[in-house]
Amino acid sequence: MSDINSTNPRTLGRGICIITGASKGFGQALAYQVSRSLEPRSVLLLVARSGPLLQEMKEELQSATEEQQLVVHCVAVDLRTKEGVDETVRVARQEAVDEIEHVLLINNAASLGDIAKFETFTNPDEVNSYLSLNVSSPLALTAGILQLCPCRPGLRWSVVNLSSMFALQALPSWVLYCTAKAARNMMFSVLAKEQQHVKVLSYSLGPMDPDMQKEILRLTNVNHNPMPCHESAAKLMKLLLDNNFSSGAHLDFFDV
Amino acid sequence: MSSSQRKDLGRALCIITGASRGFGRTVARELSRLVKPGSVLILTARSEENLRSLEVELAGSEAGKSGLLVQCVPADLAQMEGLQSVVSASRAAFSEQIDHVILVNNAASLGDVSRFTSSFTDMAEVDSYLSLNVTSCLCLTARLLQALPPRSGLCRSVINITSLCALQPFKSWALYCTGKAAREMMFRVLAAEEPDLRVLSYSPGPLDTEMQLVARSSTADPDLKKTFSDMFSAGQLLTCEASCAKLMKLLLEDSFTSGAHIDVFDL
Repeated sequence: MSDINSTNPRTLGRGICIITGASKGFGQALAYQVSRSLEPRSVLLLVARSGPLLQEMKEELQSATEEQQLVVHCVAVDLRTKEGVDETVRVARQEAVDEIEHVLLINNAASLGDIAKFETFTNPDEVNSYLSLNVSSPLALTAGILQLCPCRPGLRWSVVNLSSMFALQALPSWVLYCTAKAARNMMFSVLAKEQQHVKVLSYSLGPMDPDMQKEILRLTNVNHNPMPCHESAAKLMKLLLDNNFSSGAHLDFFDV
Repeated sequence: MSSSQRKDLGRALCIITGASRGFGRTVARELSRLVKPGSVLILTARSEENLRSLEVELAGSEAGKSGLLVQCVPADLAQMEGLQSVVSASRAAFSEQIDHVILVNNAASLGDVSRFTSSFTDMAEVDSYLSLNVTSCLCLTARLLQALPPRSGLCRSVINITSLCALQPFKSWALYCTGKAAREMMFRVLAAEEPDLRVLSYSPGPLDTEMQLVARSSTADPDLKKTFSDMFSAGQLLTCEASCAKLMKLLLEDSFTSGAHIDVFDL
């Protein structure tokens, strides 16, 4: 296995990287790419509901990165619950040693919600549950991770919000999804404004996720021609490695 | 330039949330003066006492004496029963004579502005905030649109009381900005789906209300806090009446693009 430092001088450093929704789709693709850019003795937390899928990924990742001594943790939790968020933060805290150079949080876990006319959303339980997973959970998780360790020179903080063009553009029948994405975009913009030492990026990945695309096709009969996740993941990696983006920016796959 | 501005808002069924104080109370008063006899105002808020005093005031007003019906529905809109009671009252008040339904989504809370984003580790707190400021607004609007469906000759207007915070991030105001941004998008989707609805996100500006008092005394970010205090000391806060007058003008002119965000200072 080639030396990361000679083939790619830019790395994410010795980091602790947390990826939610890591078991499939974009989150999974990103996990593989991130693992290749982390320096030795970095830690990767894969968070998703499916223990078995995460375990499979862990085995693949650890065999691919043996020399790197990448530590991979599977955190099989439901991020809709306080317990799920707290457990993720707890595992991250255990690994947040003094030598860590980079804390990187990827808020990728999300759901589509029901695609239906505005008028049909008469049940507050449904809407609350949706907002809880897609807005409250990433806020609470991000807050928890930001409290992992005190700021110090040489410690880099990056927070990514996986977004969509529908955070900015209203789409009929997509009220839940648009509303949550717009909420997240604002939430992370406030964070960026408050915290000068945390680089916050809202990355709109385009019609990428194969599972979500199947769901969209099923609900709306519209095929958005998804591209392979690894292409979009590669663009996000470049943004993170270049580290030139303006904190709080909302960048789209097609702009990069 | 002659305007085809109407002189009144028709024989209307108006539903106003957060009507017990602040901007909502003023909206109730102003609407009462612009609707025709036979109109109905449904006032909702959690505080029964404050709603009753407004009801009495309106009943004794000129509009009240000329046939305006005012009904108080004390309710917690974050609860199912609260939503149901407002919708039932609205449905009961609706009749063939009503030619305009006006829903004013005004009820809102500031959230804890004394803390920064990285302190919101408690999901329940965020859930609770979103429940009142986003979910209840979506579900109330959805239920009312279903209960008061389109009909020839019936105009339906949905107003979202918003803020500059829907468009711009402000330090230590994570919950409020997030909730307002969410609502703004929500109503843009509604406007895109239903071209016959008149949807307006109205930003009333810095008002002299209890919400402003909390803003200028509790905001964690020192610069933002000072901005609010300075506005207050310099007498730059708007009265609810002054801002509401602009909203009423928008409704009478009825030329706004549905789904638009209009700020008091745009007029």
